[in-house]
Amino acid sequence: MRPKLAVLARHLVLAGFSAAIALPLLWVLRVSLTDKLTAYKLPPEIGQIGLHNYAEVLTQYDFGKWFGNSVAVAVAATLVSLPAAAMMAYASARYRTGGWPLLLGVLASQMIPPIVLVLPMFLVFMTLLPVPGLVAITIAHVAVNLPFMAWIMVSFFDADTRSLEEAARSDGASRWQAFRMITVPVAMPGIIAAGLLGFIMSWNEFLYALILGDHGSQTLAVGLASMETHAGVNIAPLAAATLLALAPVLVLLPFLQKYLIKGLSLGALK
Amino acid sequence: MASIELNSVSRIYGSGASAVHAVKGIDLKIEDGEFMIFLGPSGCGKSTTLRMIAGLEPVSGGDLLIDGARVNDVDPAERDLAIVFQNYALYPHMTVRANMAFGLKLRGLPRSEIDTRIADVARVLSVEPLLNRRPAQLSGGQRQRVALGRALVREPRAFLLDEPLSNLDAKLRSVMRTELVKLHRKLGTTMVHVTHDQVEAMTMGTRICIMRGGEIVQVGRPQEVYRNPADTFVAGFLATPPMNLFPGRLEARGDSLVLVAEGAEIPVPAATAPGWGGHAGREVIIGLRPEHLAEAPEGPAPAALQLSVETVEALGPETILNLRLGRNGPEIAARLPADGDWEAGQPVTLHADTARLHLFDPATTRSIPRGAAHAL
Repeated sequence: MRPKLAVLARHLVLAGFSAAIALPLLWVLRVSLTDKLTAYKLPPEIGQIGLHNYAEVLTQYDFGKWFGNSVAVAVAATLVSLPAAAMMAYASARYRTGGWPLLLGVLASQMIPPIVLVLPMFLVFMTLLPVPGLVAITIAHVAVNLPFMAWIMVSFFDADTRSLEEAARSDGASRWQAFRMITVPVAMPGIIAAGLLGFIMSWNEFLYALILGDHGSQTLAVGLASMETHAGVNIAPLAAATLLALAPVLVLLPFLQKYLIKGLSLGALK
Repeated sequence: MASIELNSVSRIYGSGASAVHAVKGIDLKIEDGEFMIFLGPSGCGKSTTLRMIAGLEPVSGGDLLIDGARVNDVDPAERDLAIVFQNYALYPHMTVRANMAFGLKLRGLPRSEIDTRIADVARVLSVEPLLNRRPAQLSGGQRQRVALGRALVREPRAFLLDEPLSNLDAKLRSVMRTELVKLHRKLGTTMVHVTHDQVEAMTMGTRICIMRGGEIVQVGRPQEVYRNPADTFVAGFLATPPMNLFPGRLEARGDSLVLVAEGAEIPVPAATAPGWGGHAGREVIIGLRPEHLAEAPEGPAPAALQLSVETVEALGPETILNLRLGRNGPEIAARLPADGDWEAGQPVTLHADTARLHLFDPATTRSIPRGAAHAL
């Protein structure tokens, strides 16, 4: 009797947490399917359900453009930072380049609030490096994500691939060949996981995109925020737009989980 | 085919006061076609030495020569040596075939040549059915074969084996020992094999190089090292159970020498050990192999020892007795035929073959040579 009660209690606690996480999303889903008036009603009503908000977002707003900008920035930032981060992580793991101070510095840089960095960066892009908004945002995302991705990947390059590389070296491979043909493929799950994390961080990023971008380079995060106007919040289309913006991340998450676990269990691959 | 020469080769980790001397200026010449064993306890520098030969570890001092050419600064990729690791280090993302082909492709060999070599080696090692599998789908023994195959297809100048048998179970290990010896006989390529297993050392190598604390203690053919250990470390390391070592005193009585130990006096005819005469009156360490104790007198100069049985290890083909010498003397082991019937606490008389006794200097632990008459 007792074990069953314990299981029940555990499930109740878990259900509570799940509800806390899922309810806001379900709320947004409900709002996105109703109209503005029903959305604010308490106790909540389902009311008339339809996809009209989605249609409104796709036709009345620049949703397509925001989406395109987000894709461009996130893809470009990830493609630029991933190889560099992989090489940095490799150097740190294999040759102890920079030693622990570098790794600590990298970690510390992640603790700085973005608002501290965004104003100097704004000045840099205003005066020294006047590039188009999308390029500026991409560069900023690379600067922020690269150290983080490298930091994650260091553990993937640790001891386990060392003897494989040594085998490759005495098989006749140069350092670069050993890295490219042996280490990278073996550490690939970890590299993919770091890339997906970087992509999602870039996709969700708001502050740099807001400050460094101009009207033509609004990403989804900025675009969604612009739906809150002085005239009020257009809550129902905003909910629809939010869910549409979440879609790519929801698609990527299972892969992230899969590769992250694979990457972390690289050591088991003897 | 290659000879490998180490001249005062050392490996130092770190610098200044915290520097660790893993290998302390060793000299060794491995002849072309030799099967050399590096034997020693863990941390003795044997693997580091092998890795320096492979080029995976920088040489801190001295010269490393392959076929007479100094290779200290030659990239491992250029040395044309194949190394087999303890953990096999098979490329997990490649099939067995691709693992074997890797080194050949890097060297730009034509496809047909690669295929022929892989087919040949796969047949020799019986890994043909595994060629399209990944390492994760292989058993430990199969991985070991594939790792060996990857080295063989390269047809390198020398094979470097870093404890490749230590992850195998006892039965497979003895099979692979024989296979490696056969392979060496067939190929005639220089092999350097690192191990801490003295059975591997005794059975596989043409010569053994015994290391301790980053230094070479003794180099020689297995039987030679077994018969004439250079010091107490070698005597106590080789064979199971190892040589019995216990303190005693060498005394001259008339024509004869007598070894006096706690619980025993062992006469040694002076003629069988002219080299020992000069040490009369000194403290020594007496070395006696368990197999040189017998129930009946053996050899030209047997000596009876009074012992009492402490424990009996009946191994099947033979029995190991752990005995107490005299009443309070040292504990020594004897290796006897299995047919005896012993019990703990029982007194026994065993005969030591004094012609095969060893003496060591307690100060230096080095062997005291018997001199010219010692012809065993």
